[in-house]
Amino acid sequence: MSKQSDIGKRIDETLESLRGVQRAELSPWFFTRVKARLERDQHNIWETAGSFMARPAIAIAGLVLILCINAFIVFEKDTLPSDPASISSNITEPVEEYVLNAANSNYDYENLEP
Amino acid sequence: MDERILVEGLKQGDEAAFKTIVETWQNMVYNTALGIVQNAEDAEDIAQEVFVQVYQSISSFKGESKFSTWLYRITVTKSLDHERKKKRKKRFGFVRSIFGDQNEVLVNPPDFHHPGVTLDNKENAAVLFKAISELPENQKVAFTLNKVEGLSYQEVSDVMKTSVSSVESLMHRAKNNLRKKLEDHYNRGK
Repeated sequence: MSKQSDIGKRIDETLESLRGVQRAELSPWFFTRVKARLERDQHNIWETAGSFMARPAIAIAGLVLILCINAFIVFEKDTLPSDPASISSNITEPVEEYVLNAANSNYDYENLEP
Repeated sequence: MDERILVEGLKQGDEAAFKTIVETWQNMVYNTALGIVQNAEDAEDIAQEVFVQVYQSISSFKGESKFSTWLYRITVTKSLDHERKKKRKKRFGFVRSIFGDQNEVLVNPPDFHHPGVTLDNKENAAVLFKAISELPENQKVAFTLNKVEGLSYQEVSDVMKTSVSSVESLMHRAKNNLRKKLEDHYNRGK
């Protein structure tokens, strides 16, 4: 019983041990170190980008993306019509339509009169 | 100097303003990081990272909260990130040791002694810090900000972006958990 109350007392003392704790302080040269780190970080932007790209997960993901783009381009090329005649007929249709419309325009009626 | 003037100065790229900001808040940032990571070198490293981030992302500070609250948030986030990274490394080291790689040596960190604790409380505070390090993240942050940094529950709730009642609940749970851990510790006789 007394052991339990001893432990209870020690726990209370321990929980109160941070009462009146002072703030920990840094050395006066801290700002110089921050400045040096800032300059180092600015110089290292390309290095950081390089090391980011060199990460296995990023490198593999990039490779897979390039392969997917290649595969997409190859398959898209295969789905284009192979007969050049059908392509040219498709192109001439709008031109013919334009010529017909042009003949019936108000401008032509006006020009027919002397 | 008024913090708004300093922040505006830093936004304009004024180095003197940055120097004043660092010198004004460096111990606040360091003490908070030290309370969470419980290692002087790591805490200084985190404090440097915090001010580098402040310099680089000051434009994102809109003045909706106090500048010190914004600084506390960055410090807490970086400190917790550091703790997670350390835990991951420890776990990875454990896995490596299972597979027979003996290069990674698992070392239990020595007791942490906060430099601001009075001499007569030194031993008890070391035991308490050990117990704090085992608390869940939210409870650890709330307890550290309140007991080590001396923030009120209102200020803690501003930093943690939560309500005062949530902070009260976190503190209550933290104290209960600490009590259990300390009881185990003293029952084991160490």
